[in-house]
Order: sequence, then structure tokens, then C-alpha cells
Amino acid sequence: MKPMKNILTTAAALLLSGGMAMAASAVNRDSEPRTLVVTEGGSQSELVIGSGETVEFCSTGCFVTMPNGDREVLTGSETIEISGGRGRVQ
Amino acid sequence: MRAQFLSSRFRSRLALAAFLLVAWAVPALGQGTESLLDSQRRQIANVERMVDTLDKQVDDQSTDDAKLVEVRVELERLARAIFDASLAFRPRLSEINTRLEQLGAARGEGEPAEPDEVSRERTRLLDEKASFNVLIGEAERLSVRISGVIDEIAQLRRDLFTRTLSRRYDISAALNTNVAGEFAAEMTRIYRVVSSWVSFTVQYRLKPLLLATFLALVAALCLLVGGRRLFGDFMKPDPTQEAPTYLGRLSVALFSTLIPSASFAMLLASAYYFLDYFRLLRTDIAPLLFALFSVVVLVFFVYRLAYSILAPRMANWRLLPVHSQAARRLVALAGLTAALTGFDYFMNSVYELFGSPLSLTVATSLLGTMGVGLLILLIGNVKPFSDEEGQAKPWPTKFRYLLFAIGFAIIVSAILGYIGFARFLSQQVVVTGAILATMYIGVLTAGAVASEGAFAKSWLARRLERYSPFDETTLDQLGLVTGMVINVMVVLIGLPLILLQWGFRWADLTAWGYRIAGQIQIGSLSFSIIGILTGILVFVLGYFFTRWFQAWLDGSVMSRSRMDSGVRNSIRTGVGYVGLVIAALIGVSAAGINLSNLALVAGALSLGIGFGLQNIVSNFVSGLILLAERPFKAGDWIVAGGVSGTVRKISVRATEIETFQRQTVILPNSELINAAVGNWTHKNKLGRMELPVGVAYGSDVRRVHQILMEIATGHPLVLKNPEPFVLFAGFGESSLDFEIRVYLSDILTQLSVQNDIRFAIVDAFAAEGIEIPFPQRDLHVRTVVNQPVQVPQEATSSESEAADDPAAATKRRRRRKLDPE
Repeated sequence: MKPMKNILTTAAALLLSGGMAMAASAVNRDSEPRTLVVTEGGSQSELVIGSGETVEFCSTGCFVTMPNGDREVLTGSETIEISGGRGRVQ
Repeated sequence: MRAQFLSSRFRSRLALAAFLLVAWAVPALGQGTESLLDSQRRQIANVERMVDTLDKQVDDQSTDDAKLVEVRVELERLARAIFDASLAFRPRLSEINTRLEQLGAARGEGEPAEPDEVSRERTRLLDEKASFNVLIGEAERLSVRISGVIDEIAQLRRDLFTRTLSRRYDISAALNTNVAGEFAAEMTRIYRVVSSWVSFTVQYRLKPLLLATFLALVAALCLLVGGRRLFGDFMKPDPTQEAPTYLGRLSVALFSTLIPSASFAMLLASAYYFLDYFRLLRTDIAPLLFALFSVVVLVFFVYRLAYSILAPRMANWRLLPVHSQAARRLVALAGLTAALTGFDYFMNSVYELFGSPLSLTVATSLLGTMGVGLLILLIGNVKPFSDEEGQAKPWPTKFRYLLFAIGFAIIVSAILGYIGFARFLSQQVVVTGAILATMYIGVLTAGAVASEGAFAKSWLARRLERYSPFDETTLDQLGLVTGMVINVMVVLIGLPLILLQWGFRWADLTAWGYRIAGQIQIGSLSFSIIGILTGILVFVLGYFFTRWFQAWLDGSVMSRSRMDSGVRNSIRTGVGYVGLVIAALIGVSAAGINLSNLALVAGALSLGIGFGLQNIVSNFVSGLILLAERPFKAGDWIVAGGVSGTVRKISVRATEIETFQRQTVILPNSELINAAVGNWTHKNKLGRMELPVGVAYGSDVRRVHQILMEIATGHPLVLKNPEPFVLFAGFGESSLDFEIRVYLSDILTQLSVQNDIRFAIVDAFAAEGIEIPFPQRDLHVRTVVNQPVQVPQEATSSESEAADDPAAATKRRRRRKLDPE
């Protein structure tokens, strides 16, 4: 069992050092659809989020322009809550 | 040019380091907002300047693949830096947003005017935010630009590769008589450079040179000796061994290739490193030495590989069943091919370094690649195998034609002037071929290790067996795991090596790695392989932790608290299930699977489960109730549904009961919950035991009562309180029935107590002359005159004998007289 455990620990160390990629998510608390402008990896796209919807985007980090014109940078693990056109990063 | 590039790269790194330091230091100092804005602005401007430089470099160096990759790595770092620079605004931005919310919206027309301070502050905050937004927008633009340059580099590199392969050289110019003279002149140049370097170093820098050589030797020796100590048995084929196992041959081939090659590579690499460290390498010598060292390592590796696969001197250690002469020839041909390819590569770097005329490069490569092509044709022509009659047999047809095709392709493309393509092909044949061969041996080894019983017989397993408590089955399973691990290692090491050979760069591979590790989107479902692997790993770790915790709790904590084994067992099992569930939950969330997504699936499934798995679920819930309520525990003697026995194990679905005949009965838990269960040893093991005994009619019943009472109270295992009771139970058919009722502290001892009491009763009754009767039946024989005696068919022969034998009949009758009717 011991060699197996050793192998497992090594694998664990390798995996954890590899790091994990997650996506950021945005939830729209407003009653109307909101649009985020997302720039990720050199391409800009508009992300329309319906009322009450949650979307996942931006897995490697991106620039986001909120509905009210605020700009933010996301590393890819945040949650944005949109209410009243304002985006709050958590 | 190279030196220039290096120094410029160094400068840019320095600048980057300084700027990162600033990025870190400025927010930490907690200076005012003004300086945050300024410092970030400065940083972004800095990055922009660097991007400009790099962009220009891309245009200048658009023909050098290695430099393009370096620029790309630098650009990727800048992209991250610009990201971090914009990230620094976030705390202040959220502060501003909160403050603005507190201030509220500006009052409109007709509303009472708000105080001046409020509107002033709002304006100030809004201005600050606006300037932040502008800067972040700047950063965004810059990051888009960086991505564009990175894409451009990718495109440039693709074009470069195609151009190298498809460029056609004029070989007639390369084949004139001047080339020989140019070659000689070039050689003289090399000789002059090298000798001047050597004489300078020996004269003025002898000490560091010796030190560098010594250190390199030490490093290589460490690897060689360590490798020999660890894998010594694997490395050297034992010539006395008649028939080495397949696994043995494979591992010898693998390790006798890898260990010496790695040691040799280590020697040269550390020599290079230490020479560089002591500043002994001049800018013209360093690339020369680097090319030479890599070529020598490659040739050495290919030769060792061919030698260990074909083992020309030891036929029984050969991996391929070729005959000895062919083996010798093949090893020589493989070595020559590698050497020629290496020579071509080395000369090419030399020409590049000294700026030699193109005709020289073309001529050398032409000859080199044509030589390689010829050698490959020769290898294809060897007849290594022998058929049944001992006649030499060529390679399998497909392999032979493949070799011929490659050889002809190299020669033809070289003759046609596609030197780049011919060089690429011949280098690939040697390097990729060698890597593939090594990988193949690795895969074969994995298969051999995993095959049944092979690992248990190997040297490693024998050693393991000596030092650890593994039995053969565990070793066999370990062999399976080892085989899988070897396979994974082969792919993880071999594949990147091959891809690197094919012109991919390390940065590409890591980028791919990250992409694979990242999110994979299928419809609305997204997951990542790394995430899933992490989840599985976390679960396995959680499982092992639970097992360990269980063992610790049971062995160290509960064993000291004088708990009985049943409770301990319940707690153990409960902890095990709880741990498993927690591990599964953590594993699922570590895998990045959103549990709320599962809710929908669970909702749909629960209906199906409700119908289909009703029994299982009910048993499962019953099992949990059994563990919590503990109507019985492991070790109890229970009676349930016609089964009586000792509880062995309470699992989540069923309970194992061992009857006294040692039959194991698996009883579903729901039956134990829904039906009545008798437990002899629930709270305590106290129990009553009844023992009926009859005495003959006419005995002194009071005396009998007294004797029985004495016997009952006299037994050491019988409890005094509640005291034993002797019941005059009734008047039976042939006896006066008594019953001894005694309480035992442990009901499980009742059999031995019964024995003791019965022996004592028999002894006491014999001494007192009290008879224990057995059931009797009277047989009345009526004799009617003039009618023959009708002996019924059912009457036993003994009775008919008794009728014949008067003596026996009297005896019976006399005995019968004792029974009052």
C-alpha cells in the first residue's frame, strides 16, 4: 500500500501545482436583460444576460465593461452581481 | 547578434522585474489615490513601451523560430502583468462605488438642493472613477494588442516552417570544385577559433577549467553510481543466464539505455553549465559547444538503444529475434545514421555561426542527407530474421517498404534541391525513431509488468516481499498499478519529446496543457479534466483519511474508554459512512461540478429510485436506523425471522448473522426493523434457563424438590438473586414433572450449566434411589377361547418375542407393575 500512497501523493502534488482553472460567473438581479462587454484573449464580445439568469464566462481572465460603463478586470474566479445596471464583484 | 539579443532580453527582464516590484510595493505602501492612479498609469505605459519593442523584434526576427518563441513567452508575461496592473484598481473602485451608493443619486429639479459638500464629493468620486475607467480601457486595448501580436507570431512560425520545408536550393552551385576549398577554409577557421580559445583558457583560466570539469564529472558520476546502485540488476545483462524472462530483457534494455545516456547527458550538460558559470565560454564558442554536446548525446543515445535492443554479443538477451550477424550490422548502421545526421546538424550550426557561404551548407546537407537515405535503404535491405529452414528472411514487408520509402524520399528530395525537407526527414527518422523505440520498450515493459504473475517474480517484488508484509496477490495487483503508471509516464514523457522534435516549443506545450486542464464546454455543461482528476484524487485522499481516522478512533480512543465492542462497531461504521459521504461531496465540488446542477438530475432520478430501488433504499434507511438506535449490536445473540445466531456485522443494506452451526445468514435490514427481533444479550447477558426433569410416580416429591433445589443453588454459575426456583410442573403421563429454573449471568454459558446440573441430578437420584421414568405403553393381550391370537401387524418383533419367551414377559410385567395406573 505504501508505494501506492507515495504515487498518489506525488500525483496530488503534481496536480495541485498545475493549478485549477475556474470560470467567473455573472448573475443578473435586474428585471430586464443586461449586456456585459467581455474582452478575453484578444476578442471582444457582448454577453447578454437575461433577468435572473446566471452565466459562466471568462475562464482565463478578462476585461469586463459593466452595463453602467464601469470597467473591471476578472481573474476568472469571481462572481459578479448585476443590480440596477451596476456590477458588484464578489 | 545573439549576444545582442540576449542582452536586450536581459534588459527587458530587468525592467519587468523592476516594474513588478513597483506594482507590488505601491499599493502596499498605502499611498494616496493620486499616486495609485499615477503608478498604474506609469506601469501601463511601461508595458506599452515593452510591447512596442517586442513588436519591432517580431518584425526584425521574423525568420528565427527560437527568437519568435522567446518573444511570445515575454508577451504572455506582459499580458499577465497588464492584467495585474488593472487588478490593483479593484479595492479602490469598490470603495468608491460603496461611497457613491451611500451618497445616493443626485437630486433632480424641483427637489430641495443638497449640501454643497455632498455634490462636491460625488463629483470628486465620479471623476476618480472615470479616470480609472479610462486607464483600465487603456489596459484592455493593450491586452488586445498583445493577443494580436501573439497570433501574428503563431502565423509567422507556421509560415516559417512551411518555408523551410518547401524551399528549393540550387544544388548545382553547391557541387562545384570550389566547395572543397571553402570547406577546408572553414575548417581552418574553426580550428583557429577553438585552438585560440583552448590555449587562452589553459594559459589564463586553467583553475576554473579544471574545477568545471571536476564538478561536471562529479555530477555525472553521482547519476551513474546512483543509477547503478538502484537499477544495477536491471542494467547489466547476465551472460550466464540461459533464458532471461521477457520482463527481465525489457527492463535491461530500457535501463541500460536510459541510465548511461542520462549520465552522459548529465556530464555534458553540467560541463556546459559550469563552463558558462565560470565565464569560460566565449560568445563564439558557446553555441558551437552546445551543438556539439547535443549531437554527441544524441548519437550516444541512439547507439546505446540499438545496442541494448539488439544485444549483438548476447543472443539470449536480444529483444528482437534477429541473428547475431544481422544484429551487429544493424547496430553499426543505426549508429552511423545517427552520427551522420548529427554531423549534418552540427556543421549546419557551425556554418550559421561563422556566416559561411550558403553553397557550403547546401553541399554538406546534400551529402549528409543522401548518406542517411542510403543508410536507411541499407537497413531496409538487411535480412535479419531466419525462416524455418534457416534461410535469411527480410523485414516484414510493410516495415521494409516503409524504410525504402523514407530512404528514397530523403535521397530524391535532396537531389531535387529540397534540402530543408530532406534534413527534416532524416533528423526525424533518427530522433523520433529513437524516442518511439524507447517509448515502445516502455509500453512493452508496462504490459509485461502488468501481466499476471510477472511482477511477483521480478527483482523489485522479491525485495519488496522481503521488507514488507505483501503477499503474492497484493504484489500482482501492485504489478498492474505499476504497469499503468509506466504507461502514463511513457506518454507523459515521450509525447512532449516528440512534439518538441516536430518544431513545437515548450511554451506551446504548456499552453496546451493549460487549455486541456481548463474548462471544456459541452452545451451548458462545463467541466475540466484536471478538475475531475482532482475530484477523484480528493475523494481517494478523503477515503484514506477516513480509514485512518476510523482506525485511530477505534484503536486509540474508543479502546481506552471501555466501550463495548458493539458500540465501537456502530460508531466505527457510522464514522466510515459519514467520512465517505463527506469525501464524495468534497470530491464532487473539487471536480468543479456544481451541486445545484445535480439537483435537477436527482429530482428526476428520485422518482425512478422511489419505484425501482424501493427495497434497497428501505434497507439502507433501516441500516442507518439500526446503527443509530442499536436494538442489537455486533456480537449479540438474536432471534429474528426464524434465524437464531450471533450478529457479525451490520452493514448498510443487510446484517450478517452467524448461526451456531456457523452458517452465515444475510438478513436484509428492513426485516430487522419491521419484524420483532429477540435479543438475548440486549442490555445484559442475564437470562433464565429451564431444565425439565421427571421422576417416577411414587417417589418422594418433597425430597426430589429439595435435591433439585440443592443442586441448583450449588452450581457456581447460577445466580443467587434472582434465586433459583424449582417448579413442580405437573403430573405427566408417565412421570411427575419438575422444572428447574435458574438465572445465569451469561446466558451463553447455559449449555455447560445444563450439562453440570443434569449430571448432578443423575448422580443424586441414583444415590437416593429415585427413578427417572421413561414413557411406557401397556400392551394388554386378551385371550379369547376358540379364536386364534391376532398379533397386529404393527407390533414389533420384540413384542412377539416377548410373547414367546415367558421369562422376558414376566420381567416386563413386573416392571410395569411399578407404574401405578
